[in-house]
Amino acid sequence: MSIINYASREIQFKIVYYGPALCGKTTNLGYIHQRINPQNRGDLVSLATAADRTLFFDFLPLNALVIKGFVTKFQLYTVPGQVIYNATRQLVLRSVDGIVFVADSQWEKMEENVESFKNLEENLAKQNMSLDDLPHVLQYNKRDLPNIAPVNYLDYVLNNRKKRVQSFEVVSSTGQNVFATLNAVSQILLQKFSKQSDANRAGAGLKPGQTHVAPQPQRIVA
Amino acid sequence: MNAIPVLTIDDVATLDNVLADFLKKAEAELTVVIDRGGNVISQFGDMTVMDVTIIAALAAGSFAATRELARRIGEVEFNALYHQGNGSHIFMNSVDEETIMITVFGPRTTVGLVRFYSTAAAQQVALLLKSLQKDNHGFSFNASDISGAPIFADTPSA
Repeated sequence: MSIINYASREIQFKIVYYGPALCGKTTNLGYIHQRINPQNRGDLVSLATAADRTLFFDFLPLNALVIKGFVTKFQLYTVPGQVIYNATRQLVLRSVDGIVFVADSQWEKMEENVESFKNLEENLAKQNMSLDDLPHVLQYNKRDLPNIAPVNYLDYVLNNRKKRVQSFEVVSSTGQNVFATLNAVSQILLQKFSKQSDANRAGAGLKPGQTHVAPQPQRIVA
Repeated sequence: MNAIPVLTIDDVATLDNVLADFLKKAEAELTVVIDRGGNVISQFGDMTVMDVTIIAALAAGSFAATRELARRIGEVEFNALYHQGNGSHIFMNSVDEETIMITVFGPRTTVGLVRFYSTAAAQQVALLLKSLQKDNHGFSFNASDISGAPIFADTPSA
């Protein structure tokens, strides 16, 4: 549940990065934490095991733009991807406002992607929520690896709901399209609360009919 | 159009009064009211020493994580949790089905005193939150209020 506080002039939103184990959810948050202006972020809190697997969740608070004098605060969470931690995933999904579903593009991970997506739908249903009403985008991660499925196959498998959503080809380890994904889900989320209801064109400046964002040339870091 | 639940300035002032009174009586350092998703609803006290947003996220997780433990001994959930440190401690208690109150306190007081006064404070907070109007005076804005520019920038120098 987002909440607005007139005294502190803040609006809070919660975005959850969801997906199968080792698909790169934590890497997304790590990259965002590393590259965003430090004045606009808090600490990245990671509750992980010794082997760097997310045990509970990762959490990164961000401050963003001002709307009508109100600062928007986005709280980014990841869920643990491992199948056994479903109770934790349900807990992290509580009061969620937006979702980034991170899929691993490798062929051998396709079954896990589908399982995780189904699990997301089931866990939302348990909270009387549905992806149809929830701002969300898809992220096809690990596009730099050799054994990856083509985007149209990933779309066929994961982006096959009544309303297609935006999808992003991402390499989270280098940061490619990591911010594009975050900006898209944040824009859709804000648009949801605006008086203009058709929000799905917002985000990465997409043209009508366009839902997919291909890789951008790598930014050269001075 | 979806309206966002709001806390008006009056709501926050009333909440602050309840929390200030509680802090004074319990001699605690800081108290934060959060929803069970980890969002901060209200806070009062010395906030310079810690990031309240992170405390809220972790406390919501901690509270929820003990539900299963409670179930194993035949409870629905634990009404209160206490984390004891060497100098600083955290006491958390349930306000209602959606809300938790967190209190951080030091050596000036005792957990018994905090627990005693937090019960009454939680009841007052619950009453106030119940009266919040969620739908009919919600906040919304026009699409034109949001610029098309990226909300978050990838800054190599960060």
